Amino acid sequence: MTPLHHFGNFVRESVELIPLSWVRIVFVAIPVLILIWVLMLPKSETTPGDEIPGEDRPVRWDENLKIGASLALGFQIIIYTIFA
Amino acid sequence: MKVSLSTIDYLIIAIYLVTTMGIGLFLSGGMKSGKDFFLGGRRLPWWAIGMSLVATDIGGTDIIGVGGATYQYGIASANFEWIGCVPIMIVAAFVFIPFFYRTGIYTIPEYMEKRFNVSVRTVLACCWLAFMACNIGIMLFASAKMVSGMIDLSSLSHYCISTFGHADWNWDTMICIWVTAILVGIYTSVGGLAAVVYTDAIQCTVMIAGCLMILVIGIYQIGGIQQFKKELDLIAVKNQTDVQKEDPSSNEVTDQNRSLVVPVSSNSPFVWPGILFGLAFILSPAYWIGNQAIVQRSLGAKNEFQAKASYIWGAVLKSVIPIIVTIPALIAVIKFPNLEDGDQAFPHLVSELLPVGLRGLFLAAFIAALMSSIDSYLNSAATIVTNDLYSRFINPDASDKRLLFIGRTMTILLVIWGIFFAHYISTLQSGIYAIFQTLMAFFQGPALAVLMTGLFWKRATGIGAFAGFLSGICCSVSLYALNQPAVYKMLGTEPLFQIPDPFLYFSIWAFLVAMSVIIIVSFFTTPEPQEKLQYLYSRRFQQGENK
Repeated sequence: MTPLHHFGNFVRESVELIPLSWVRIVFVAIPVLILIWVLMLPKSETTPGDEIPGEDRPVRWDENLKIGASLALGFQIIIYTIFA
Repeated sequence: MKVSLSTIDYLIIAIYLVTTMGIGLFLSGGMKSGKDFFLGGRRLPWWAIGMSLVATDIGGTDIIGVGGATYQYGIASANFEWIGCVPIMIVAAFVFIPFFYRTGIYTIPEYMEKRFNVSVRTVLACCWLAFMACNIGIMLFASAKMVSGMIDLSSLSHYCISTFGHADWNWDTMICIWVTAILVGIYTSVGGLAAVVYTDAIQCTVMIAGCLMILVIGIYQIGGIQQFKKELDLIAVKNQTDVQKEDPSSNEVTDQNRSLVVPVSSNSPFVWPGILFGLAFILSPAYWIGNQAIVQRSLGAKNEFQAKASYIWGAVLKSVIPIIVTIPALIAVIKFPNLEDGDQAFPHLVSELLPVGLRGLFLAAFIAALMSSIDSYLNSAATIVTNDLYSRFINPDASDKRLLFIGRTMTILLVIWGIFFAHYISTLQSGIYAIFQTLMAFFQGPALAVLMTGLFWKRATGIGAFAGFLSGICCSVSLYALNQPAVYKMLGTEPLFQIPDPFLYFSIWAFLVAMSVIIIVSFFTTPEPQEKLQYLYSRRFQQGENK
């Protein structure tokens, strides 16, 4: 057994002490936190704004990237809540 | 296991191949410059890029491999598509992709020179080039082996032996390698990134349709969703009983078939620390933010908003992929519980579940998956050679037309290299290509450390980044070596890691070592000048907002 093996065993035993229920919470928390962050982004970050030259028109509801991002993240939250 | 095909099946495969080639060649019209070839003239729409991202990520070997891993270890392999993709794709869409788009770069190594120095750019470009060039050969070989394992090509093989000789060659595999390489090589060299992205979009559609078909027919044949759930419950109870027979004191929950979080004590390679720290925090960001083959297509978007939208659309599609790959594998667990090799799950499903005609559609989907990955790596490898090596060191004043010519020539040369390398691998002992793949994945953790410090830490220096990158690679190579039986038996020790294929753990330690070395060396070296610091994330983003 080398010092690396001892260190590896120490890390493995420490990680084993973490309750699986806490780990499951982390797996669900990651998409939840990102979803909150996405919903708080300013409109300028999630809509075309004035980027399309020559097109001076109001932004359509489906041009907001928050919708797609929320859909993908919402799905992750459901999946990890059920199967984690 | 060979899948028996009828004329209709072959016809469907032929229609798919002709359509793909036709679209690829049609898009070659109007190709006038290197920008057209490498970035699709920055005219690509978000929906096509998003589908291309997914198609590039899911290769033919992944469909079989992820299906096989699910058959063997349960749905934890779906983490690679869910927590290993979706969260970072959303973050990348709003943070990193707009940043790279604003810098106007063609490649990630190009950014490294702007932020650090030419040494960091060159070493990263060479690593990516080696990775992609070898991967082209590996993907050609692995995919050809799978296709030739499913389709009966014996009559063609006999013809080749009687015509060309070399009876010792595995002609089934060789025919598949040649056909795939030539088809992909033609449309990629002629149409560049635009052809790759649009054909990927078709390939993504065919791939999803093919896998979805197996899922629907499989669930129907089992007796519906409720029956499917009941069968899985029975398997979970049986597994639990088997474990308690062997070890009556065991209280371990063994329903790994339906658990995404696997405990450390499991023998699965997908235990939660590897998935969370190795995959979600390191390999996944390295892939979606730092992989040239992935980032390049978003740089070809019409504008910054479309570049962001492509990643969001990709994330939505990515949410669906595990359902159509892992659930069929669970169907195989129920219908064929005694397969020795999990990778046989999909071929068995295709043979047993699908009627004539639909088998051809699935095989077209499978071929689509493998072509979509090979074409992307071809185009990105050609971009790196042309942009980071040719126009940087050999001919900095090259005209746009010259760059287009070099890009096309490099694509053809890479196809030829891929065929030879695939042939070389086929002469080696089986499983060798898996070792190549593991070895080449070693630099992803260190590359992420360099990219993150470059983006977010102004004190990071070029010398620090260079030293950190090399140290990280040395770390992962050492860990890999210490886990090989020949090495640890010679040293009289035990393997360092207790799970099979611990590549997720290699990436964690390689990243940490690289990061530590970058920090330490940077503090002992001269800070980078102001013109380099304008490529820090905070400053560039501020400039963009001020415009």
